[in-house]
Amino acid sequence: MALLADIAYARSGDKGDTCNVGVMAKRPDLYPLVLRQVTAEAVRRHLGGLVRGEVTVYRLDNIEAVNVVMRGALGGGATRTVRFDQTGKAMSTALLRMPLEEAS
Amino acid sequence: MTKRVRIGSGSAYWGDMFEPAVALAERGDVAYIGFDLLAELTMSIFQRVKAKDPDKGYIPDLLTILRMVLPAAREHGVRLILNGGAANPVAAGRAAAALAAEMGLKGLRIGTVTGDDIAGQLDDLAAAGWEFENLDTGERRLDRIRGDIVAAHAYIGSEGIMGALADGADVVITGRVADSALFVAPLMHEFGWSFDDPDWDRIGAAITLGHLVECAECVTGGMSNVWEAACSPWDIGFPILDVTDGPDGVTAVLEKTPGSGGIVNLWTVKEHLLYETHDPASYLMPDGIGNFTTLRIEELGDDRVLITGMSGRARPDMLKAQIGYRDGWIGEGQVVFSWPDAPGKAQRATEFLHHRFARAGVDTLALDMRFLGVDALHGDVAPPMPADPAELCLRVAGWTRTREEADVVRREVTHLWTVGGLGTAFGTPSPPRPVIGLWPTLVPRDVVRLGWRVEEVT
Repeated sequence: MALLADIAYARSGDKGDTCNVGVMAKRPDLYPLVLRQVTAEAVRRHLGGLVRGEVTVYRLDNIEAVNVVMRGALGGGATRTVRFDQTGKAMSTALLRMPLEEAS
Repeated sequence: MTKRVRIGSGSAYWGDMFEPAVALAERGDVAYIGFDLLAELTMSIFQRVKAKDPDKGYIPDLLTILRMVLPAAREHGVRLILNGGAANPVAAGRAAAALAAEMGLKGLRIGTVTGDDIAGQLDDLAAAGWEFENLDTGERRLDRIRGDIVAAHAYIGSEGIMGALADGADVVITGRVADSALFVAPLMHEFGWSFDDPDWDRIGAAITLGHLVECAECVTGGMSNVWEAACSPWDIGFPILDVTDGPDGVTAVLEKTPGSGGIVNLWTVKEHLLYETHDPASYLMPDGIGNFTTLRIEELGDDRVLITGMSGRARPDMLKAQIGYRDGWIGEGQVVFSWPDAPGKAQRATEFLHHRFARAGVDTLALDMRFLGVDALHGDVAPPMPADPAELCLRVAGWTRTREEADVVRREVTHLWTVGGLGTAFGTPSPPRPVIGLWPTLVPRDVVRLGWRVEEVT
């Protein structure tokens, strides 16, 4: 099964209880596929209980990337969370595990 | 007229490596180095230190950095800008002056910037009807947490640093300035820009560039998708911005200390551009709004990347502020189960803990029980546990109202050292830690009483 990791790189970070994942197409020709696969709904479905709030996906056509912003995604934020990954550094790789949906 | 300046980044966080900053000063051919030493929690930690000792409350690493970097900085005429003043930039300035005198650096000019600490203005603002809406939760009014507040700081912009630079400071020490201001200020100072007659595209470019380097090694191969391609990370180079202010706007080459390890390429720049950001068209900073959706990134080779087409918009009316308050405790522990049947032992252990917490009457506000090496990072997204692992590390953390309850969490995990199944091992336990809750909000600009002062070492 193809994963998002096959077509994109990603890096995540924190601001309060909001986590963002920058997702970068590995090649310019893969950018349209990244846009189709990385939707707010798909992200929410894949990450399940890790994210409790709103998910927004912003486009950056200039660098063939999207920025996935997830609120309520860090168990209360770095200073208060009981998660081991307090600052959500591994949310990037969690998202990269997302299976690609087959074209219909 | 076209102007050019080279600026380095000397620290990503409190606790970062020192040697790459020394190498920058020695070999980077830079005019300035900005040092970011603050995270969201840091101001609260150091307000508590300052409350116990009014001569402290700044980041101790600040003095180590100055001791190590100042000799090369003086030799090569590099000016240093550091936010390590944390909760007490004035005391940090005094300590830096004493250190400089001890090092024989007579004539060194040390600037301090104040005004970010707005704890004293909270009640007046509240009385005037300001609601301090929490940007994370939407909660309004500070009443619930008022008695537990330990710190309140606005993220201030470049003006204070620019003032100190104009007054001839060789070293500028600040508290909670926006990270990017450590780089925006020297760019505005060098290029002669001002907020009286602002060119927001140029200022937006400076904000974008500041953002790109403020986490030092995180744009030169650290924390990277292409980490394998970063050569000798033990010698990782810190980034350098070679910035040109020309008739058509601002362009820059992002590179790193010559002869250093790490890597700068398309990916390290792209991944950091998006790091810790929200709407990429509106990167809100006190100095202006950076727009990341117009720029172009071009690899030049030899660890150099060209950035053009940056833009921005006028600075927002409000400043972001971060209020820190006491918010309970976290108790934490780890225990490692051994083959055979490590998963069975682990399952029994989680049952043990639930029973013991209930017996002690501890009702955690949040509880995490995950296995390091299995699902501690990815939670339910992780694949199923391997069938017969050689070992399994259970990590338990519980958030509680009181220190006593947090200590129960820690203590009950230690009981697994004797009650757990055969071959159960343990590490070194850590005491419960106090939790500082963060309340991000917006405040009007005029709440900040900005000040700066430059003094010469005698």
